[in-house]
Amino acid sequence: MIQVKNASFKYENAISGAAVEDIHAVIPKGEVVLLCGESGSGKTTFSRLINGLIPSYYEGELEGTVLVEGQDIQEVELYELAPHVGSVFQNPKSQFYTLQTDTEIVFACENIGMEKADILKRFDITVESLHIQNLLGKSLFALSGGEKQKIACASVSSLLPEIFVLDEPSSNLDIGTIQELQKILLSWKAQGKTIIIAEHRLAWLRSIADRVLFFKNGKIALDLASDSFWEKTTAEIHNMGLRAHSRFYPEHKRKADSHEKIELRDFRFSYGKTPILNIPFLEVPEGAVVAVLGDNGAGKTTFARCLCGLEKKGQGTLMYKSAPYIGKKRINLCYMVMQDVNHQLFSESVLEEVVLGADIPTDEKKEKIAGKILSELDLLEYKDAHPMSLSGGQRQRVAIASAVASDKEIIVFDEPTSGLDYRHMKEVAENIHRLSSLGKTEFIITHDPELVAACCDYFVFIESGTVTHSGEWTSDNIQFVGDYFNLI
Amino acid sequence: METILRNTRPTARQMYLDPRTKIFLCLTVSFVMLAGDGMGTMRYVQPVLAIVPLVFLLLLKKPWIAVYYVGMYIITTTLPYLLLPHLPSIVNFLFTGVIAVCTQALPSMSMFCLLILTTTVSEFMAAMDSLHIPKKLTVPISIMFRFFPTIREEYAAIRDAMKLREVGSWRNPIEMLEYRLVPLLMGLVSIGNDLSASALTRGFHAPTRRTNVCPIGFHWQDAVAFIFCMVVIVIFSLSLLLGW
Repeated sequence: MIQVKNASFKYENAISGAAVEDIHAVIPKGEVVLLCGESGSGKTTFSRLINGLIPSYYEGELEGTVLVEGQDIQEVELYELAPHVGSVFQNPKSQFYTLQTDTEIVFACENIGMEKADILKRFDITVESLHIQNLLGKSLFALSGGEKQKIACASVSSLLPEIFVLDEPSSNLDIGTIQELQKILLSWKAQGKTIIIAEHRLAWLRSIADRVLFFKNGKIALDLASDSFWEKTTAEIHNMGLRAHSRFYPEHKRKADSHEKIELRDFRFSYGKTPILNIPFLEVPEGAVVAVLGDNGAGKTTFARCLCGLEKKGQGTLMYKSAPYIGKKRINLCYMVMQDVNHQLFSESVLEEVVLGADIPTDEKKEKIAGKILSELDLLEYKDAHPMSLSGGQRQRVAIASAVASDKEIIVFDEPTSGLDYRHMKEVAENIHRLSSLGKTEFIITHDPELVAACCDYFVFIESGTVTHSGEWTSDNIQFVGDYFNLI
Repeated sequence: METILRNTRPTARQMYLDPRTKIFLCLTVSFVMLAGDGMGTMRYVQPVLAIVPLVFLLLLKKPWIAVYYVGMYIITTTLPYLLLPHLPSIVNFLFTGVIAVCTQALPSMSMFCLLILTTTVSEFMAAMDSLHIPKKLTVPISIMFRFFPTIREEYAAIRDAMKLREVGSWRNPIEMLEYRLVPLLMGLVSIGNDLSASALTRGFHAPTRRTNVCPIGFHWQDAVAFIFCMVVIVIFSLSLLLGW
């Protein structure tokens, strides 16, 4: 039982999150509540009120009362709350302490000082109920994002809490792994646990959620039973700023095809003796926006890294405008916009960032070219700002601008929309469009059906390291991709 | 259920030793290698200590690293003496100092790496707890254990990003350092924040005594290592005091 009465919270440090105001909600035991809303609407803040990170970890002004299992969060310590509330977070790589699956699962039990025999018993129960026997005895660095998220679930589950709080757990997962997360949530639901889940991707929760809280500007704007929420049309859901899930249908089809093609020949990569990638021949039209689809671990990232010439041992030739590019040479032709774009911003101002590494002789010319690129990407007004002071979408645009400035012709995006709401997804799609109007060829690695529908006009499907399907949006291909996305 | 939590004896993965023994060995090797002057009996003791990491590398079945280690050690110990007579004294003055430090630091650094590689965070915490070392000290060190692989991952991503932009060559070392360190530190700070939030919601700060499921305990191999360390320390003290 969770009771939130007239709660308001403002962070001392505004970067930590969005404020919430006048929140009123009673969540009975066993209810599964979906928190939705745009980024910065306060849903994560609400989840932190329940798991006690507010006010114990994040400092700020808290008014009103929050009672969790009858305890006032202002008066209990986090470790007293730990046996009652389990939390799973968004980023799989930063929620592990011990680096080994077995020890991570019992970490929380050890912390609160349970008896050793009990801990081992709990360990067995947890492993069995979440079906993670195959993950035991492994290093956490060897696991995929989805497997890490399962271990995170197991690690909180071992304390047998009554309440689970999940903050965007599916952001980094593919469709196959989301199904498994779905199963875990269903088993918790069957055990009568209370689940609070903040999410952008809503479709996979359709069969799980009982109630939907829609956040807007720090307030609960709608409090609905889930049935009446799912009755809304796609357009209505989009108007609320949320992701919707409708049957996949691409908005763009390639017009009369240019005859230029980009060819990939004999793309191979193996890790030790295990082959990861094996693409004998692949052809994509120059200037296309190519969706690279497939499950986690199918080899999409390796494909992208080989394409950009980042894998030293990656074999293969890329034919661009009938010139061959081998191995490291492709770095001059290709650019990758990474999932964590912070890794690739180095300078102190946007303008400096754009000209950094670009091969332009004079300063005057540099300024001119950079100015042109920045205005094309709608960044001119920020040219003196620090890249880190910009929003996520703008930062991504700065990275794109720098790729354009250094004359890269092929741009690869590595999951550009994971964890983004509808408006930000649209912004990314817009960025991709702009690049495409500059004549660049783009490869988009993604799990996001709405992004593919909004901007891709070609697709490549990778399975076990080889391309099994590829092509334009013919009706067969639309059917195939639609079926793939419809698994959940 | 089959799990490392039910192991009662340390396996090859832990170099068959208790974490406390490994820490003691690491300290002994580092201290004697760095503090010893390579004169008198130390002339024989130090090469023996240099063999310790080699033994562990073989136990861990890392033959290539072992070969590399031996090669490095032989180069750093012999090359300077072969070159010394043929070089001007000013070069020798600068050169020998660096080489001497390398010779002595190589086994110590290897021991430290092996300690980190073969000890899990849980084992380390269990060991520290049994030595009654306060949490205030063990938590930061255990986070360090946890952070090495993370730093490597983040660093690799940044290196890729730099390659793609063709920036940060060795020609401009200051720039190279800045481009690497600034994003690295930003990334690590945010990972650190997330990590503490996740550890705290799992009761990490509970004042109760932590249960350690990880089995630690001494066996005969620990005794051997202890005796070895004690002998080395005694010889070292004698050589210091009596000038052996």
